Amino acid sequence: MTTDTAAQDAAMPTQPATPQSRAIKEGKFGKVIRTIVMSVVAIAFLYPILALLLAPTRTEHSMSLGGIAVGSLSNVQFAWAQIVGFDNGMFLQWFSNTLIMVVGGAVLAIILSIPSGYAMARLRFSGRNALIFATLLLMVMPNTVLTIPLFLEVSAVHLLNSFWPLILIFGFYPFGVYLSFIHFKTALPMELVEAGRMDGLSESGIFFRIAVPLARQAVALVGFFGFVAGWTNFFLPYVLLPQTQSSTLAVGLLQMISSSQLINPEEGLNVQLYMPELALAAVVTMLPVMAIFIAAQRYLQRGAMVGAVKG
Amino acid sequence: MAAAVQPKNSTRLLKRPRRARQSGHTLLLVGPYFIALLLVGALPAVYALIQSFISPLGGGFAGLLNYQTVLTNFRFIASFGNVGLLLLVWLPMMVVGVVGLALLIDAARGRFGKFMLFIYYLPGALAGMTNFMLWLLILDPNVSPIRFLWNATGQTSIDGILASPMHVVWVLAAMLFYQGAGSWLLIIYGGLNSVSDEVIEAARIDGCSAWQMAWRVKLPIIAPWIGYLVLMNFAYGFQIFLEPQVLATAAQGILSPQWSPNQLSYTYAYEVGNTGAAAALSVILLVITLALGVLIITKTGMLERS
Repeated sequence: MTTDTAAQDAAMPTQPATPQSRAIKEGKFGKVIRTIVMSVVAIAFLYPILALLLAPTRTEHSMSLGGIAVGSLSNVQFAWAQIVGFDNGMFLQWFSNTLIMVVGGAVLAIILSIPSGYAMARLRFSGRNALIFATLLLMVMPNTVLTIPLFLEVSAVHLLNSFWPLILIFGFYPFGVYLSFIHFKTALPMELVEAGRMDGLSESGIFFRIAVPLARQAVALVGFFGFVAGWTNFFLPYVLLPQTQSSTLAVGLLQMISSSQLINPEEGLNVQLYMPELALAAVVTMLPVMAIFIAAQRYLQRGAMVGAVKG
Repeated sequence: MAAAVQPKNSTRLLKRPRRARQSGHTLLLVGPYFIALLLVGALPAVYALIQSFISPLGGGFAGLLNYQTVLTNFRFIASFGNVGLLLLVWLPMMVVGVVGLALLIDAARGRFGKFMLFIYYLPGALAGMTNFMLWLLILDPNVSPIRFLWNATGQTSIDGILASPMHVVWVLAAMLFYQGAGSWLLIIYGGLNSVSDEVIEAARIDGCSAWQMAWRVKLPIIAPWIGYLVLMNFAYGFQIFLEPQVLATAAQGILSPQWSPNQLSYTYAYEVGNTGAAAALSVILLVITLALGVLIITKTGMLERS
């Protein structure tokens, strides 16, 4: 996309783009209808999120009245105590497991993606086209398709319940490679690379001294997306980490739901797990991702558009 | 790209010695990723292929026995039927919903449109289990924020809501739409942004109304993006695992634990311990997905741009 637009801009330098130029004459009526439709959809999208976020502030009794309501902070504290009390603080164990594996995976994704994306974008080597093809193919294939084969592979080498296979799998991130590839292809000025060559830098010297310092945005994007992809992955830890202590938050949450009084009223739990507690667990589980989504919104939106691949 | 600007003979003179010097550096830059690709991308597929021909009993060559086991399991056809039905409901929902919202945002430029885009994007942050928890809250008539709707339709429990198989399909489609619409909205909106101002201007001069502009001008131009949306989501939808798996946990005994093909594969691998059958089913899913993947990257012009 970047190159196309740049080319268009270069071709028509005299035509100033006015902000109004795309506005279309339409009746007031049309505009009102459009605004109403968009607002109704926005409310429909936000209402359930608000209900989930507010649920931990309410009591079980308040929940049974339906709708949404704001409760009190002491209810949140009570709910948090229940979550931490579940299976002797297992929730915190899951949190740290997830953090270790997902951060490890995101860092590995950066280490693997940035240099390989650079090489594919800027160097000529045999097998380059095949590598690009394989990367694109693995990028568009949903990762669930390889989960059971990965399970067979990992259990064959007796590494179930180990964090290492997950870090490696999260670190292998074809979309990150693609982002880096696009970045170096479109955003790295060739003059700088040539200047580096003139000064006698080797190819890896050019990469480390010139390309990497200019690739902060690509590094951030790969890190963000890699983190979110790992954090929200369910199927992989579900099959590769069968032990409760080595589980991740996403999988642990399911375990909490299925052993809660909500699903299993007969089970003798040491804590109360009803809707407010489960909602709090779900919200805390997603806090890091939500923080990234809101803080890095611009970055992620741009990245998603690159991911649209409609270059 | 800049290399193409250089006169041809000068690149040719430079190329050969440089290439020899480059190979070591290239290996350093690409090697680690290539090893990861082999270990995580290629090896499991090859291993599954081999396992699918090994007998689960004796360990010797089994021919097509494992494939026969899978194909003759009555749940096999049922699970493909389930995801087929889901795709039939969910894909049109995605196309109409996402394209419709993108056109609305595109028509409402300025702050309001940008703000709406952000709001529509938010549910995407609740991926996976948190999205499921949100839906559990919605679907439980006793605590639901839309309790009034459930009361009006006479629903009193989540089991009751999920009692009909078609309801399960609608619920899953709604869950997937809510979670996935935002990021696809960005992609389609990005596509709309690339429609050049001159085209819009020309249509406007020709007296195009807002409605005609959307239907006759913008829609045909973004058709390739819509194709990309359909293919990618098709590949994703028939792989579905998390949603039906956890829904089956929440509504015990209502949903089959082998609702989708991936769940069946999981059952073979985990509960039955039939590695051969799990591998065979994985290979079947892999072949379909590979075909879809090749279709996506060749037909949507992804490769040419790279």
